[in-house]
Amino acid sequence: MTLLSVRDLSLSYPLPRRSWRRSAPVRALHGLSFEMGEGERVGLVGMSGSGKSSLLRCLLAMEPAATGQVLLRGRPVAAGSVAALRWYRRAVQYVPQDPIASLEPRMTVAQSVAEPLLRLRVDCDPMRRAEEALESVGLDHRFLRRRPDELSGGQAQRVAIARAIATRPSLLLTDEPVSGLDMTSRVQVVEVLRHLSEVHGTAILMVSHDISVVAGLCRRAMVMDGGRIVEDRPVAAMLRDPHHPHTSELLNAAPPMTAAA
Amino acid sequence: MIRTLDRLIPALSRGVTLAAVMVLIAMLPWISGRDPALSILRARMGDQDATPEALAAIRDKLGLAAGPVQHMRDWITGLLQGDWGTSWISGAPVLAGTLKALLVSLTLMSAAFGVAVVAAILLAWPTMRRGLRGRDTHSAGAVAAILTAMPEFTLSALFLVVFSVWLAWFPPYGWGSAGHIVLPALALGLPGGGLLGRLLTNAIAATFHERWIATWAVAGFTRGQIARAVLRRSLPALMPQIGMIVVAMTGGAIAVEQVFSIPGLGRAVLGAASAQDLPALQAGILILLVNALAIGVTVNLIRVGLLGRALQMRALPVPQIASPPPSGRLWLVPVVVLILLAALVMAGLPRDAYSSQFIRLQPPGLALPLGADGLGRDVLARIAHGAVSTIGMAAFVTLISLVVGLGIGLMPRIAIGLIEVTKATPPTIAALIVVAAMGPSALGAVIAVSAVAWAPLAAHTAALVSEARAQPHVRIAPILGVGPLRLIPRSILPAVFGPVLRHAMLRLPGNALALAGLGFLGLGARPPAPEWGLILADALPYVERAPLSVLTPVAALALMSVLGVSLASLSRCHFSISLHIWKKYMKNPDNIAFNFNVLSRVCKRFGS
Repeated sequence: MTLLSVRDLSLSYPLPRRSWRRSAPVRALHGLSFEMGEGERVGLVGMSGSGKSSLLRCLLAMEPAATGQVLLRGRPVAAGSVAALRWYRRAVQYVPQDPIASLEPRMTVAQSVAEPLLRLRVDCDPMRRAEEALESVGLDHRFLRRRPDELSGGQAQRVAIARAIATRPSLLLTDEPVSGLDMTSRVQVVEVLRHLSEVHGTAILMVSHDISVVAGLCRRAMVMDGGRIVEDRPVAAMLRDPHHPHTSELLNAAPPMTAAA
Repeated sequence: MIRTLDRLIPALSRGVTLAAVMVLIAMLPWISGRDPALSILRARMGDQDATPEALAAIRDKLGLAAGPVQHMRDWITGLLQGDWGTSWISGAPVLAGTLKALLVSLTLMSAAFGVAVVAAILLAWPTMRRGLRGRDTHSAGAVAAILTAMPEFTLSALFLVVFSVWLAWFPPYGWGSAGHIVLPALALGLPGGGLLGRLLTNAIAATFHERWIATWAVAGFTRGQIARAVLRRSLPALMPQIGMIVVAMTGGAIAVEQVFSIPGLGRAVLGAASAQDLPALQAGILILLVNALAIGVTVNLIRVGLLGRALQMRALPVPQIASPPPSGRLWLVPVVVLILLAALVMAGLPRDAYSSQFIRLQPPGLALPLGADGLGRDVLARIAHGAVSTIGMAAFVTLISLVVGLGIGLMPRIAIGLIEVTKATPPTIAALIVVAAMGPSALGAVIAVSAVAWAPLAAHTAALVSEARAQPHVRIAPILGVGPLRLIPRSILPAVFGPVLRHAMLRLPGNALALAGLGFLGLGARPPAPEWGLILADALPYVERAPLSVLTPVAALALMSVLGVSLASLSRCHFSISLHIWKKYMKNPDNIAFNFNVLSRVCKRFGS
């Protein structure tokens, strides 16, 4: 069953003005289309500047698309006010790249995880739900009252994951979730994500420039270059026999983590 | 469409603010609530009775009968046609007199700016020389701080006592000969020159710590070439500050003209304010504001010209202006000043500040430590009571400006025009508008200073807000369902409040001086209030017989400004860490050799 479909999505940014002339806008996405099924785990790889972050911003409804549509279970989504997007935010959550900086430094772990439950008006007991979410990423009640500066990078990333899964979303968007972590924490975080997806049936779209991390979690991968999806196939096949020259470049850049493990 | 509108907001904000200021000035006769017909009748036809018919005839003649909106329209169309109205007092056209006075003021300000530039160059010279000789560059020291410390009206009074009365080198007041311009130009130019010198010194010191200096020196550029490059690199960062200094001069000129009886625009405007001659006042305020805006635009154009294409490409990092690291002794100055002020207040508060119980201008004695003023009142008591009320009012102004600055700084894009126009308005001009609307009073002075004191705090808040909004934990907020309104108490205010509060506290002495300045000009507290500026103004007529009665309030005001400057220099952040690393780097001969190797390779490649 289709969870998310993206149809002919394009996005362009205006450049800052130089002198008096207005320069042509930069096109970040060129008519993208793809679909994701319920519970599917998909990797999105590409070099920096390939349009991964722009696509993510559109999927997070942070950026109004120039053309095209994003549909969640057939319902269209567009950038809008916080109130108009609550239904979407409950169903689609986000794990950012820089875990410690993405947590409000003045709030405790419990407050951070409970915040989306309160603000998105999820019908539950926020504190109970926050504790559950923290437990499911392997953090017990001792962490509840800690603040971000008392957490390690891996712990903070698990808090960010707990915050994202507290609303029990059907789709998790993650942006380089392990790139700032050491090897042990990387494996831990990937395991946590896989476990969540298998137990709750949460679909995951993982953005990364590192194809080996994708291979560790996802069965399917999409390669982006120049604002287009240039390859969309199972990871295993892609690793054996990359079609697009860009894909082989990415493969050469990083030896697969699976092979190392 | 939405994006276009979004981009237009700052321009719209500026336009709306300017229009609002124009309307405010145009409406002054109506806001003041006084019947202009009556004041005209009194001024011009003293013998005539204020019969309803006579008043109606005057109103008719002035076009006031048509109502405020029509009057405003007439005033603005008149401006465009060169008819700026006629004085209510003399009946003469306002424009000619105002332009003549403007010419005098511009002459004075140019001379003062020259003084400021010379002072700044003298202050920055040692740093430049040390830097060119490859030695550690020091930042500006005590001389600059002292120059910056004194407000113009205090310095004017001091110069009047020392150079005109005691030494008799220069004429005490008037205009017309070269001797007349020296003291006013010095009084107006030195405070700005001190500030400019400090900023220039620090900018030059920061530039000398950039790596290209060493590379150029190794490559054999002459000292003259390096000096020119250092200046060119240091000046753009200073241009906004220079603009602020020159704008402050337009306000300071009013006080200086008043002290030295110079027939300039400032004095004309003050006279118009005290006579409630609103057409003259309107024209004067308008020209002062246009002057300040023109200065701002010019300075910005010069800055763009200096940076050239580098600014448009957004490729040039502007050097950070750093101040010297605060040493332990720096705490000493504000503490000593605070103790002195406290002692003054303790000694004088129990005494009677209002009754004339002594002989007029009685010299100091045991029973009367600081003598008596022109009305036989105890100067020590008046200074002490004045300290309490001035500092109390300044604290109130600081609180208001903190609240308003925080509030407006939270929406910088909408308020940008308001912030810019307010930053270009010296408190004296704001006070003129307030006085025109409601007459001189202590409350009016508080309103006037508050009305401009929030702008730097708002600009600071706006900078901190944009910094806070770039933080990942704020950018992610919409995804967590946190709306823009809830974001303010959750993340923005906590990040902004502490630094802005400290900034506001540092401005308290400056606010006290601004209030005293208004009192001095007769735009603030009224007699017999023991307000510092008022005490100084009361003493000035007796400057030749009793110089001490002038020097006492001058000393008190100087203490207040030293407090302000020393507190401000304590809070500046410093560059000691980068300096330390750079010094270590340069001490190692390998590094210098390495630089030279790289350079020679680069030179070979480009065939030079």
